[in-house]
Amino acid sequence: MAIGRRRRLARNGLYVAGLSPAAFLLALFFVGPALWALASSFTNRALVGIDAANPRFVGLDNYARLFGDPDFGRVILNSVIFVIGSAIIGQFVLGLALALLLDHAQRRGFLATNLVYASVLLAWVNPTIIAGFLWVAMFDFYNGSLNTGLHQLGLGPVDWLGKGPMLAVIIANIWRGTAFTMLIFLGALRTIPSDIYEAARVDGANAFRRFWDHTLPILRPIAALTLLSVTMATFGTFILIQTLTNGGPAFQTEVIALYAFHEAFQAHAVGYGSTIAVVMLALNLSFAIVFLRWSRARA
Amino acid sequence: MTALAAGGEQVAARTTAPPAPRRARRAGPIEWLLVHSVFLVVCAFFLIPFLWLLSAAFDERASAYIQWPAAPTIMNFVRIFTEHDFARVLANSVFVAVATMVLVVFAVSLAGYSLSRLDLRHKDWITYAVLLLQTMPISATMVPIYGLARQLGLRNSYLGLILIHAAIELPFLIWLMKGFFDSIPRHLEEAAWLDGRSRVRALFEIVLPLARPGLGIAAGLAFLSAWAEVLMVVILIDQDNLKTVPLAFYEAMRTQGGYTEVQYGVIAAMAVVYLLPVMVVFFGARRLMIRGLMSSTRGL
Amino acid sequence: MDEIVRQLISRRRFLQVAVASGVVAACNPTSTGGGAPTQGASAPAGGTGGSAPASGGAVSGTITVSYPDEAGLKPKYVEQAAAAVKAQFSGADVKIDLQKIGDDDYYTKLLLALDSNDAPDVFHVGGSLIGELADASYIEPLDDYVSQWPDWSQYPDAVRSGVTYKDSVWAIPYGLDMRWLYYRKDDLQKAGLPADWQPANVQGILDAAAAVKAANEPNVLPYALYAGPAGSSGTADHAFVPLLWAYGGELQDKDGKWIGDSPATRKVMAYYQKAYDGLSPKEILTETKPWTAMREKLGNGQLALLFEGGWVYGGWASADKAATEKNVGYTLHPTESGGPSFTIGGPGTCWYISARSANKQGAWEFIKAFNTAEIVGKLNAEDPHPVARADAAKVPEFASSPYLVASTEALAKAKFTSPDPAYSKVIEAIQKATARVAAGELGPDDAAKRYTDDLTQALGADNVTSQ
Repeated sequence: MAIGRRRRLARNGLYVAGLSPAAFLLALFFVGPALWALASSFTNRALVGIDAANPRFVGLDNYARLFGDPDFGRVILNSVIFVIGSAIIGQFVLGLALALLLDHAQRRGFLATNLVYASVLLAWVNPTIIAGFLWVAMFDFYNGSLNTGLHQLGLGPVDWLGKGPMLAVIIANIWRGTAFTMLIFLGALRTIPSDIYEAARVDGANAFRRFWDHTLPILRPIAALTLLSVTMATFGTFILIQTLTNGGPAFQTEVIALYAFHEAFQAHAVGYGSTIAVVMLALNLSFAIVFLRWSRARA
Repeated sequence: MTALAAGGEQVAARTTAPPAPRRARRAGPIEWLLVHSVFLVVCAFFLIPFLWLLSAAFDERASAYIQWPAAPTIMNFVRIFTEHDFARVLANSVFVAVATMVLVVFAVSLAGYSLSRLDLRHKDWITYAVLLLQTMPISATMVPIYGLARQLGLRNSYLGLILIHAAIELPFLIWLMKGFFDSIPRHLEEAAWLDGRSRVRALFEIVLPLARPGLGIAAGLAFLSAWAEVLMVVILIDQDNLKTVPLAFYEAMRTQGGYTEVQYGVIAAMAVVYLLPVMVVFFGARRLMIRGLMSSTRGL
Repeated sequence: MDEIVRQLISRRRFLQVAVASGVVAACNPTSTGGGAPTQGASAPAGGTGGSAPASGGAVSGTITVSYPDEAGLKPKYVEQAAAAVKAQFSGADVKIDLQKIGDDDYYTKLLLALDSNDAPDVFHVGGSLIGELADASYIEPLDDYVSQWPDWSQYPDAVRSGVTYKDSVWAIPYGLDMRWLYYRKDDLQKAGLPADWQPANVQGILDAAAAVKAANEPNVLPYALYAGPAGSSGTADHAFVPLLWAYGGELQDKDGKWIGDSPATRKVMAYYQKAYDGLSPKEILTETKPWTAMREKLGNGQLALLFEGGWVYGGWASADKAATEKNVGYTLHPTESGGPSFTIGGPGTCWYISARSANKQGAWEFIKAFNTAEIVGKLNAEDPHPVARADAAKVPEFASSPYLVASTEALAKAKFTSPDPAYSKVIEAIQKATARVAAGELGPDDAAKRYTDDLTQALGADNVTSQ
């Protein structure tokens, strides 16, 4: 429909106006903070001490300090381990397995499917701070449910948070986040009508062949996207780890989000904390760009 | 829409209610046993923490492990209101969450519609930018938002809380609403314009009613997100009278040091009360919520 | 070093002064808030409404008083002081903001509030923080106020110097910190140690802990040694620093540089390694506020050895006086070679006035109203600390407690840390270093070397040295 140029501009003007409340908030709370973090990372601003009264511009000193700090290497390592353990091995694989199981069970007509489905969802939907609270109780050394259960079985108590902190937070995060991947895979699996499996069975294909020929091709396209998506989401995990170990005994579960928080609000070094935040944002941005490229290629 | 979104749509369509068993093939007893054993393990893993929560909330002498309540009582629920000022904290949460929901629905419906109808050569770039914003983890922007809020005087105020809670959800929900509006053909409103109605009226009378599911999703997700938000509240609020429930929890967990000191029963009761709206909103509007969430490129 | 020696010597004189001023105080009426008339004093800069600090002077407006308290002992005295201010100045109102959170969280909240100009008029944090708070221009120097406060003469030099930084007084202390090595007589006896056990030297603590472990009583932890960031300032003040001094080391050298790796540091790290080899529980590293649990356990016999604040005794005694007196022993910290000989002291939590307060005069009135001999004496009798002002020691509740007398005497043998603004960063480095050894990640020598690195990172190479 041909629209005159003036008309189009006029209409666009209205649409830009319609965008402005949201754009204002986004600029203020997304773009603004990113820029503020960048600016602050070039200073030695602190919450107390001389650097609070007179913060100085220090150029790239903070970055030099960060990349030369062996603790930062540890933090990156922890973050990588956490993401691999929780997102890739845990949530992705478990989500896929659950999706396959639930899909199969539903086709069989097992009514219990809905209970399982709801349980997984419940773990995902509840606020993170509650999830943290629940798992602090579960992992409690003297009285937690896990150790009490082990005790009933005659096994000794395990010092989850002391000796295996990374494992503990990974377990808690898997509990929390599996629903996401499960839902995605389940959605894809549901697009396959049962008749196809029927036909394949009639043709003599065993379970493995049915999976390989009919299920996998449906899953493959979204697998990569899902993986990247869950990786990005897990990268910023903060509250869960903070409530359980607050960085773990001796830095063992200090992930990058916690490191930024501790430097800013416990060591009171806001400038340095901002530096870490900037690095986090940069990393996330790179992931996001890759993700969006792939996503548009497949859509 | 992305491939994920397409999958999401179908998930919503088929996942939520139990479909009638379509020509269910009878499972052999072994298979039945196997599947249900796995079900048992899975359910146990995901539900035990909640079972503990319930058992502790109704127990006067609750402890960290699941047990049939040693001293069954509903006094915990009473105590949180009489001794711990939970009513105010809860009220704050409700107020902030509802206000956020209203602000968000307003902002994203306008923005989503505008973005959908915008006629610009590089419109895609704007959508792209919005999606990029959505991937920013707030644990990274915590520190700068603290600095910004401090400078703008937004700390320790309802306004600050509402604005920031709203902002967090905007990118994803704008993208979501844009998708909804994209699927509403333009000729409907154009017909209305030709009929002489103003743009705004056309928007309200013709388009928005069609986008109702989307608005419902946006409202529900905005509410849930504001209800659960903790990091931003930690940054913004020092004063007791402005606390929301997540902050009260956060402080309770950091205040109760030592295993024997944590008053599990009371905190569990708070958690149960706090979870109720979540259950209501999410499980009550399951289909809608999942559809919305699955159109996303991220989890909660 | 000289500073500390001077303080040590002054500590001994403190007792003499305390007795002397006790006599003097008994003869003169004690002053409460509002004090004696002043001579043409200059009003402190920034004070509102009020004229020169004089009794019944025009103090008006709201005074916000913010403080943390978890033990529940301070509120009634804070309220008493607030009531006194309101009674004296009809136009004044005192708004009390009691925060039931831990000191660390309170401090962070306070800093955020100070940073955003949202600060209370009067607040209450540790005296060792005056260096960094003063440098940040967050607090008001109190010289003009104390110079016109007759009660100030009751504060001995040693106490005054504890709150002096860059030649100004910045805060008013009331209960000083000192620490004991606590031991459970019952647990040690069950482990076969004599009833009058005293540690022969530093190693003696570990030996006793090992004996308790060998005795294998159910639910009895041998020893609690704070380590890591979870232990907060306790990791430094209640563990690392006294051990460092016990092994003959120092925090700073004579040029003021902070010492990292040194022979003494390595010995401390080796001690940590031995302690965390089954004697001290690893939960200390991960628990939030582990000291709450550890204190409770020593109180009920589930922990045998703990070096902690003198005030903790008060909590145990108020729960069960008889059992505590019978079973909980306390002694000074041993040195490497000899028996008990010292403790670590501090100015305790103090009252500060915010530099951006709009009602500094009112704030000062509140501080005076709180820091009367009566309140200071009574509060420190309930929450046992040696008192900062000498006449408070004469208050009957205080003077009649043998424990308090012992604590006050012990303070004569105390070494103090400095109110240096860099000390907070040193504490963080100490936390990191001890955590590595306690978690078994590094050996003692490597941990000591990394400690130097951590200090350098935090303070700059110019301020750090190793020996």
